[in-house]
Amino acid sequence: MIVFTVLILCVIPATRYYQIDQPLMRWLRGPNRVDPAELHLSGEFVENNLGTEIDPDGSVTVRMIAQQYLFVPHCVLVPAGVPVHLRITSADAAHTFALIGTHYAVKALPGTITEAQLQFANPGEYTAACAEFCGAGHFEMRSELKVVPREQFQALDSVKRGGCVAR
Amino acid sequence: MWRDNQVRDFHKDDPLDSLRSCSWQPGMAIATTTVVLLAVIAGTSLLNRVNAGSSHRVPSNVAWTPETIAQASSGKAFRGLLLAKRCEHCHGAEGFSPVGSTPNLAGLDKLAVWKQLEDFRDGKRSSPVMEPIAQSLSQRDLADVAAYYAELPVYADPQDNRVFPEPNAQASHSPIASRLVAFGEGSRGIPPCQACHGPVGYKPGAPSLATQNADYVLAQLDAFGDGSRANDINEPMRTIAALLSDSERQALATYYGAGLGLQPGGASDIAPKPLKLP
Ligand SMILES: [Cu+2]
Repeated sequence: MIVFTVLILCVIPATRYYQIDQPLMRWLRGPNRVDPAELHLSGEFVENNLGTEIDPDGSVTVRMIAQQYLFVPHCVLVPAGVPVHLRITSADAAHTFALIGTHYAVKALPGTITEAQLQFANPGEYTAACAEFCGAGHFEMRSELKVVPREQFQALDSVKRGGCVAR
Repeated sequence: MWRDNQVRDFHKDDPLDSLRSCSWQPGMAIATTTVVLLAVIAGTSLLNRVNAGSSHRVPSNVAWTPETIAQASSGKAFRGLLLAKRCEHCHGAEGFSPVGSTPNLAGLDKLAVWKQLEDFRDGKRSSPVMEPIAQSLSQRDLADVAAYYAELPVYADPQDNRVFPEPNAQASHSPIASRLVAFGEGSRGIPPCQACHGPVGYKPGAPSLATQNADYVLAQLDAFGDGSRANDINEPMRTIAALLSDSERQALATYYGAGLGLQPGGASDIAPKPLKLP
């Protein structure tokens, strides 16, 4: 009976292991592993964690999801002259986040977080297009990346920094 | 005899059957109760700990894992038919609703219906009518109802008085709608509707729009656009609807409401006249 109780107590956490944000579980999953079907439930790619975030050292981190046939957020805002850590994953097929006019092209794969370091010297607007055939809507899979002056970016509140999608 | 068979089939996979047939003893009952209580206490305290640290917004509790897809598509259409009797009043006996603001359910993908019911149940999609109805259904009921509506034909029975698609004077391949449905608009990053909503391609949970009501399509585009409906996983529809102008939303609603989505859209819908070769 005690053995049975202990067994049940062990089985419950084991079936929900992916929801537990504990060091052991993180280690078991590996550093850059995510479940593409469950990005919206927990972890760093949940809805209000997407977009740009200021790091303690003054650089910024951008989290994005590539999916058929959109990049989310659809418009990303980053400051000029600051290292940009891009963390991107895919919810379905393989995509490539390519900034037209630059040499940046980052592959987004389901199940894996791709990390890339970008930096933009001057303010400007870029078109980000999917550079890997991903299905029927691939050729329309485009989004925007806006580089704004650093002071202007820091003056924005945390919601506005997140993205520049008109809503 | 026929009836008997149906009823037996109906209960065949009831998990409670095995419990009913087993003989209970007092000692066993006490032991089981203790274990279940302990398990529930442990489970809830663990879940509380998991939820405490996360204040993030979850658009939908549904995640398209292989297990969820298997569960959502495991329904029995016959049982769904009995359950769907109470849906008839609003969604129509054939799955074609008499009111434009209520969605047609005939021929919709199992996963699409299942996900919306699940979201109504969890309060992730709000509707004063559908929320209590969905909450009154069990997990198994949801799959059964979804299986039933998936099997209904897309064309309304000519014997039935209701006709679908509704005769619409403006039903034509409007250039705005045809272009968006067939090609989207790359310069603004709008993917073609038919790549996910059919008939060209589907994503899990994306409903077919081919026989949907115009009023309903328009209302949902507006709701996604202003964020009052926010149960799309990873925000595809909220993003796209926000990119569409009012006239584009209207054109798309008219296009789908007229049943034009039954055929895949293409270049021939947009070109006004076919090219004449000498
Ligand atoms: Cu792509």
